[in-house]
Amino acid sequence: MLEIRNLTKSFGRGASSVTALNEVTFPIAEGELFTLLGPSGCGKTTLLRLIAGFEPPSGGHIVLDGRDIAQLPPNKRPVNTVFQNYALFPHMTVAENVGFALGAQGRPGREIAETVERMLALVQLGHLAHRKSGELSGGQQQRVALARALAPKPRILLLDEPLSALDMKLRKEMQVELKRLQQETGLTFIFVTHDQEEALTMSDRIAVMNGGRIQQIATPRQLYDQPANRFVAGFIGESNFLDASCAGGNLVLPQAASPLSIAHPDGPVTLMVRPEHVVLGLAPDAGLSVPARVERLVYFGTDTHVHLVLADGARLVARVQNALRGGAPCAEGDAISITLPTDALRLLPKEAA
Amino acid sequence: MATDAEALALRTDTRRRWVLTLPAVTIISLFSILPLGVVVVYSFLTPGDYGNVKWVFSLDGWFQVLFERDIFDDTVTLSDAHLTILGRSVALSMATTIITLILGVPTAWFIATRPARQRAFWLFLITIPFWTNLLVRTIAVQEMIRNEGIFNRLFQWLGLIDAPIPMMFTNFAILLGMAYVFLPLMVLPVYAAMERFDFRFAEAGYDLYASRFYCLRKVVLPQVKAGIIAGSILVFVPSLGAYVTPRIMGGGKTMMLGNLIETQFGQGRNWPLGAALSLALTALVLVALVWYTRLTSQVRRND
Repeated sequence: MLEIRNLTKSFGRGASSVTALNEVTFPIAEGELFTLLGPSGCGKTTLLRLIAGFEPPSGGHIVLDGRDIAQLPPNKRPVNTVFQNYALFPHMTVAENVGFALGAQGRPGREIAETVERMLALVQLGHLAHRKSGELSGGQQQRVALARALAPKPRILLLDEPLSALDMKLRKEMQVELKRLQQETGLTFIFVTHDQEEALTMSDRIAVMNGGRIQQIATPRQLYDQPANRFVAGFIGESNFLDASCAGGNLVLPQAASPLSIAHPDGPVTLMVRPEHVVLGLAPDAGLSVPARVERLVYFGTDTHVHLVLADGARLVARVQNALRGGAPCAEGDAISITLPTDALRLLPKEAA
Repeated sequence: MATDAEALALRTDTRRRWVLTLPAVTIISLFSILPLGVVVVYSFLTPGDYGNVKWVFSLDGWFQVLFERDIFDDTVTLSDAHLTILGRSVALSMATTIITLILGVPTAWFIATRPARQRAFWLFLITIPFWTNLLVRTIAVQEMIRNEGIFNRLFQWLGLIDAPIPMMFTNFAILLGMAYVFLPLMVLPVYAAMERFDFRFAEAGYDLYASRFYCLRKVVLPQVKAGIIAGSILVFVPSLGAYVTPRIMGGGKTMMLGNLIETQFGQGRNWPLGAALSLALTALVLVALVWYTRLTSQVRRND
């Protein structure tokens, strides 16, 4: 439905120019909640602004329903944006805000009134139609912004960190609400966020971005379980990284007692394991056994983080659920053995430091 | 007991506030209310033979603002000369306001849309004329449009005209001079309003299928309206009472209210009429200000 092809955006000219978006290519399917996730400055907002039409691309194409819209101005694209600060027009009422796009399109007054009523009902704000936007709470403004962007029936709704201004409790509510709206309308949403939890809970697919490039596009589960590289593994959830190498069908971890047979091309790799997968104690034949010293126990309520130091000084964190085992089966200073289970090990390409 | 203590504290507090406002009250009384009182009193006196006033009560000053009495048959008619000048003052002030709006709003928009660092430079350019005496600036405008001035010479040299177009001492000359002099007073408040305008609103309008013009009309203008009204008042009010510019650009014939008032205190030797005219001008300005307050309070209610 939407195809981003070799899209590039640079700001400034000559030697001082900055490439915010570098040859990005990916498709988005109809009815998908697609999330652009990454740290600030990764290019996700630039990509969104290019799709909306606020910035002209330096190169590449944005193809919507087979038509390249990259050169069209924002008011000629069937794409609407929910802005980070909502950008509700302060001199208009809620109803006037929601009806703005239809008025700009020159639709008849009756149709506008009907659509506004329907949209406000959709976001459950019918009773506030005649308030000024400044008189609304943050959550209500958020809903009005959604209704305003949905009213002209866009092909795609762009959401630029729409929940970042809300407090934690309201944000959780709005996450559910957004997902509901998306399913009810069947619209394609492109959602920008830097909050990985938000991305994991809401999205159909996530594009993780860094340095103006897409690092990986996958479902939330795939991203967490099979990160493509060290950046994705570190950005989504918590991870332990250890230097290792593969040679002759064996994975050699210097700190481990013995190598593990594994099918992987020879060469240096980064071994990644999630803290919740690290097993405290010996589990023969289940994976790599490594001697370690317990440096510190940190209690987190539902679980305890066990900070471990390996023989060569490398550090590792294990997470033990308090409910399952009655807390950590060790004390600070203990010398223990840990097991890194084979099925929890991920081998990532080793990146130049 | 507590209420007594509170009442005492309140009394002390009230007294302290009175003492603290005393300097301001004194200055306002001495430099604003007292002179205005003098003008009010003078407007009800009889003109002296060689200027000044005779301490004899008379309503003639006020009467002459709008009417004149024929010296031979005592018939009362509307004073054509005064009405012409009043009409010219209001019309030229409105025209000045409109011209400065047409020139000033796009200028302010231009400055407000520059990168933050460049704005200071453009504002600096706008304020440069304030460094120079009003008289000098007005004479500079005169130099451009007089018969041997820059424009006429240029047009003659280009062969566009055979004889110089007389532009001095006309309504046009006054208008040109006033628009030039008052333009910064329009640009600055409009700029201040536009600088506060969040251009993300324009982006939002543009995103919601608004054309540039629709966006300007429905999104930008309503939010900078207060600045435009403030600028209009800042131009209109001093235009009404303008003295130097119409004196130089209009000569002795094409007068505005300010010049008429000056004449009464000079050659006219009719101080009560001058005082009454001044107060009439003040009343006119007050009307404009009341209108302004009502407009802006509407804007605020709309916010």
